[in-house]
Amino acid sequence: MILLIKYTLLYGTVLSLVAFGGMFSERSGIINIALEGIMVIGGLCGVVVLSLLPATFSPFLAVVITILVAAASGCIYSLLLGFASINLKADQTIGGTALNIMATAIAMIVAKLVNGSESARVLYSNKSFLFKIGTLELNVFLIIAIVALIFAVIFLYKTKTGLRLRSCGEHPQAADSVGINVYKMRYLGVGISGLLGGIGGFAYIVPAVSEWNFEVGVSGFGFLALAVMIFGQWKPLRIFLAALFFGLFRALANISSSTFLGDLNLSSNIYNMMPFIASMIILALTSKRSRAPKAEGIPYDKGSR
Amino acid sequence: MVNNKRAKDVFNSPGVRSLYSSLICIIIGLAVGFIVLLMLSPRNALSGFVTIIKGGFSYGGLGIASAIANSVPIIMTGLSVIFAFKTGLFNIGAAGQYTLGAFGGFLFAIVLDCPWYVCLIMATLFGAIWGAIPGIFKAFFNVNEVITSIMFNWIGLYLVNDIIYGGGTGVMYDRNYTKTYNLKVYHPSSVVPTWGLEKVFNSNTVTIAIFIAIIVAVVVWVILQKTKLGYELKSCGFNKNASRYAGISEKKSIIISMVIAGALAGLGGGLYYLSGTMQWNPQNSNSLPAQGFDGISVALLAMLNPLASVFSALLISHLAEGGGNLDPRYFSREIANLITGVIIYLCAFSLFFKNKINDILGRKDRLLALKIERESIRSMLPTDKYVESDDENAQKEEADKAKEK
Amino acid sequence: MDELNVAPETIVSNNDYIIEMREITKIFPGIIANDNITLQLKRGEIHALLGENGAGKSTLMSVLFGLYQAESGEIYKNGEKVEIKDPNDANKLGIGMVHQHFKLVDVFTVLENIILGVEPTKNGFLQKSQAREKLVELSERYMLKVDPDALVENITVGMQQRVEILKMLYRENEILIFDEPTAVLTPQEIKELMAIMVGLAQEGKSILFITHKLNEIMAVADRCTVLRKGHCMGTVDIDKTTKTELSRMMVGRDVDFIIDKAPCKVGDEMLRVEGLSVVNGHKTTVSDVSFNVRRGEIVCVAGIEGNGQSDLVYALTGLMKETGGAILYGSDRMSGGKSVGSVNGKYLHGKDTGDVVYVAKDGSNINSKFLHVGKSELNKEFCPQNDEGGHKAVSLRKINRTSIRQRNAGGISHIPEDRHKFGLVLDFPLEYNLVLQRYFEPEFCKKGILRKKNITKYANKLIVDYDIRSSLGAKSLTRSMSGGNQQKAIVAREIDKDPDLLIAVQPTRGLDVGAIEYIHKMIVRQRDNNKAVLLISLELDEVMNLSDRIYVMYEGKIVADLDPKEISVEELGLYMAGAKKMDNIGARDNPFLNEVLSIEERLNDGKLPENKRNELKKAYDSVYERFVAREHEYTRPNVREEVGNGKQ
Repeated sequence: MILLIKYTLLYGTVLSLVAFGGMFSERSGIINIALEGIMVIGGLCGVVVLSLLPATFSPFLAVVITILVAAASGCIYSLLLGFASINLKADQTIGGTALNIMATAIAMIVAKLVNGSESARVLYSNKSFLFKIGTLELNVFLIIAIVALIFAVIFLYKTKTGLRLRSCGEHPQAADSVGINVYKMRYLGVGISGLLGGIGGFAYIVPAVSEWNFEVGVSGFGFLALAVMIFGQWKPLRIFLAALFFGLFRALANISSSTFLGDLNLSSNIYNMMPFIASMIILALTSKRSRAPKAEGIPYDKGSR
Repeated sequence: MVNNKRAKDVFNSPGVRSLYSSLICIIIGLAVGFIVLLMLSPRNALSGFVTIIKGGFSYGGLGIASAIANSVPIIMTGLSVIFAFKTGLFNIGAAGQYTLGAFGGFLFAIVLDCPWYVCLIMATLFGAIWGAIPGIFKAFFNVNEVITSIMFNWIGLYLVNDIIYGGGTGVMYDRNYTKTYNLKVYHPSSVVPTWGLEKVFNSNTVTIAIFIAIIVAVVVWVILQKTKLGYELKSCGFNKNASRYAGISEKKSIIISMVIAGALAGLGGGLYYLSGTMQWNPQNSNSLPAQGFDGISVALLAMLNPLASVFSALLISHLAEGGGNLDPRYFSREIANLITGVIIYLCAFSLFFKNKINDILGRKDRLLALKIERESIRSMLPTDKYVESDDENAQKEEADKAKEK
Repeated sequence: MDELNVAPETIVSNNDYIIEMREITKIFPGIIANDNITLQLKRGEIHALLGENGAGKSTLMSVLFGLYQAESGEIYKNGEKVEIKDPNDANKLGIGMVHQHFKLVDVFTVLENIILGVEPTKNGFLQKSQAREKLVELSERYMLKVDPDALVENITVGMQQRVEILKMLYRENEILIFDEPTAVLTPQEIKELMAIMVGLAQEGKSILFITHKLNEIMAVADRCTVLRKGHCMGTVDIDKTTKTELSRMMVGRDVDFIIDKAPCKVGDEMLRVEGLSVVNGHKTTVSDVSFNVRRGEIVCVAGIEGNGQSDLVYALTGLMKETGGAILYGSDRMSGGKSVGSVNGKYLHGKDTGDVVYVAKDGSNINSKFLHVGKSELNKEFCPQNDEGGHKAVSLRKINRTSIRQRNAGGISHIPEDRHKFGLVLDFPLEYNLVLQRYFEPEFCKKGILRKKNITKYANKLIVDYDIRSSLGAKSLTRSMSGGNQQKAIVAREIDKDPDLLIAVQPTRGLDVGAIEYIHKMIVRQRDNNKAVLLISLELDEVMNLSDRIYVMYEGKIVADLDPKEISVEELGLYMAGAKKMDNIGARDNPFLNEVLSIEERLNDGKLPENKRNELKKAYDSVYERFVAREHEYTRPNVREEVGNGKQ
């Protein structure tokens, strides 16, 4: 049971961080399909820096530095999406897909380079990210996710910038007519989404295991986070709860062999499938009344009449 | 005079404009690849770059054969993406449909021992079914097809792996090799024939699959360009409201389009794995088959032209072959993937470039249209009452009026 | 008028003018939107900017508002040269604008929309209460009541406009631009708006008022600058000019929108709508609407935008499902649907037995005289009686459940209100658009393969017949064509199908005078060819000039059935605004109808004992007589004045 909670929180944390990322981007009007790739890049940079840090390095500083690196790298990578979709008005879905493909290639190249071998497996120590409450093993990312939740609620609904960001996702012409720089707001949205996506990718890899093969990428978690975001109706608190719900499904796969579920004799493939099937059912049921930001996916062209 | 004009038209035609922008994408993509090579190992960069460019030609017939064989599945997934795109759908689910197609092929080859053409048909059918699902979700539940097809990529992958592996006891699973049974050895009648092509290339990888792929590309082109179905699907892709107004069922079009897209990707999976040289590894499949995503590159690089997809697929396969030939001591083979990724990224806005080019070249057309419009208005009016609206005329008009008074 | 008052004023730097735009030129790809235009706005005046669609009014204002940058020209405020690069600059200079399409975020509250861009904050946090106080104070001072916490998507269009005005006042703008503000308002709301504008001018605000409606200019403006095709035709004082002169300046010739048309010769009933209702989302947009259209007449459904006309048309054409009522259609080309009528005095019963149907009769007052025939066996006894006098009755089909394609093929043509949304696939070549509903016909398609040669041939024929101009003829990309020619292409396609019923929705929206006249001519020709025309229009002039009969729609209901020859524009306006209503419109209002129907229902019950049946039949006969008598009586509906109409 403890194990189930542990994994639920682990995956819930990842999903909520990344889904918050998607939310910021879509609220500003940019569909961020590239979250999967951003996660890979964030995870890659964080893990590589972590593996390169000397063993004597202060654990606290190591945690802070690696998370900052993951966030920064995700953010920078997301700017590529911003550039294509905001400045060049590219199709956001295609641009995002391209970034996903590039991310895997980059991850493999860098991982192999770091190893100096043909394997994309990177080893590191994750001890400093973990802490315990009683017998429940938790990680620092849970704290970050909760902070991100609070930040998202306050930012979107209580601040000037949040109001402006939302207006760009709903009606960029209106925003423009009152002197709001739509491009800037959309860059902000995409940037925050890259930041959170990067941390999310790092959070997916580091706390669970102490080595990672980048051939695997993040196995569809970025896309799952998008489903979580839709299920959460682009609202922070609902996204958080949806993430925990999906996290639970995913956690079942991890503990299936070690608990009573093992007796059911279902293969891990079935459990792996579960969150995806669940998300499809939920999307089918909810999408009729789901309300995406109205202007998402539509490039904003200042000159168009 | 006439010839001259025609020649001009050729250079100005949309097809040629597309070619320009594709070429720009390829060149920039290769340049980025070269820069990466330089960063990794400046000394070997040039030779590495040459290796990539040489691609399939590095090892004579063998390399060429391999490049051709590998282009077949991505021609098909490329066609799949193109077909859906014409109806306004982004089929990112080609990977899953491809997986199911491969599975269909294996099922009918290994378990039912059917001849190769039956296996191919079944592969197509399995892909079509998997393609239909996102179509149905889109048409009836209004769920974005991108999300659905991604989800069903993973669901398909886990499902196929689970059935093939079957906890290590699957009927199609060869425990000795931890892969599916080798078709060449156990089910030769299910392998797509080569019709003597192995002698041409001195390699057994090339089968008639490449011809099937080319024929299918032509068929897709004909469907889109010449048929009623193509008209309806494209109309839906361009403007679903106007299509509804014209009495075309949008739901039907979405589903048909996704079924055909799925069928194309499924056939791709069948053609690849029924060639007999590749087996499916159900355990090492935590990532989706790359051919699915390469299809997107093929489609975009071909500027969504089905015939051009054959060439763009050959190019991408050629580069991948080159990436594989890189010296692993200095470079990893994924550099080729990176180049493809860069090319798609550029393609994403090369559609924008293309529109820009069209805009600039089209400006003349629009000016002409404007002139024509003016004339058409004038022709409708009583002749002498229409006054051209420059200031002089207006003043004259006013002066006349004053005189009258 | 002895003075020539349109000579361009000499340009002097002058502090009288709060805003001067000098020699502004703005070029869009392929069009010179503004050519050397000078506009001078005096402090505290209402300055109208008059011009046809596409004359460049909105462009000029967008330049002033910083949305576009002019290619050349200068802007002065109080005699000082200023640069306006974006709306922020305009805002700083005290320039505010109410756009034609409101720039409001639907899911935000009124308050949020008003403060957007100038949010009061403390350490980056919104201070809404502060903003609310200011808003309440403003709305009281200018008598512009709004609910600060209502979501914009839930308030009326008139209210949304108030929000836009408050947005400018909140920013303390001195120069207020109104871009075609009256297009979406009822005549009453327009009056209110005019009063507000005058009030604002008295408070010292300077107002620029963009419009193409001369009456409004004559009512409120002090001066007027006229644009035509991107050129400035001069500025005039309103009290020294006339409407005729203004319209001549605007169009370049005398325009009277009076259309020569012969008196209409009404024929068979082509469309009969009975109690039609449509629910869109959660809102009933069309409720219990009944009317008819006959051959040889143009029937107009007038009304302010958003009173259900769009959804009515969508239901008639099959783009939307109705939630109640019947659509009966009289063309024998219609293959689908249920045949429910009779032909040549002989009653032919359709396959359906479950539907209540009407048979319209030919005759002098067909509008008021229609006979109920009902269903099942019993009708045989009653129907011949109905056809006494040898009337020719028309067969009607209930087409509620027919597909869009069946309706297309059945002779219903539809010129949609939004030509880019519904009318055309802009990325198709023109020829493909010209066969948009016919591409599958044997002429254009054989065994699933398109017959491109025939398509091109047909397209070329239409291009010649209807004078559609484009750069590459049939192969032109539709997107590259001008709005007027796009609309002509739609009109050509719809009319060339030789429809029995033409449904034209705002067929001249956004077009200039030449194109408008052409399309009006085509519509009248259709009527003169003994076809039925249903026209949906928001333009009062168009309604008055084209139609033979007018129905007015207000809040989803038909509130008036009018004769354009007997009614004034003002009165029409009152109906459109919901200030006046008629009773007894449409078939449902015959008080005996329900009785007739209910008795018939019982008669159709097979289990009814014979004696009871005879009794009922007698009762039916007497009720039916009264029903018919009432139908004869039914001439014009009663007019009822709505007292204390809820607006304000």
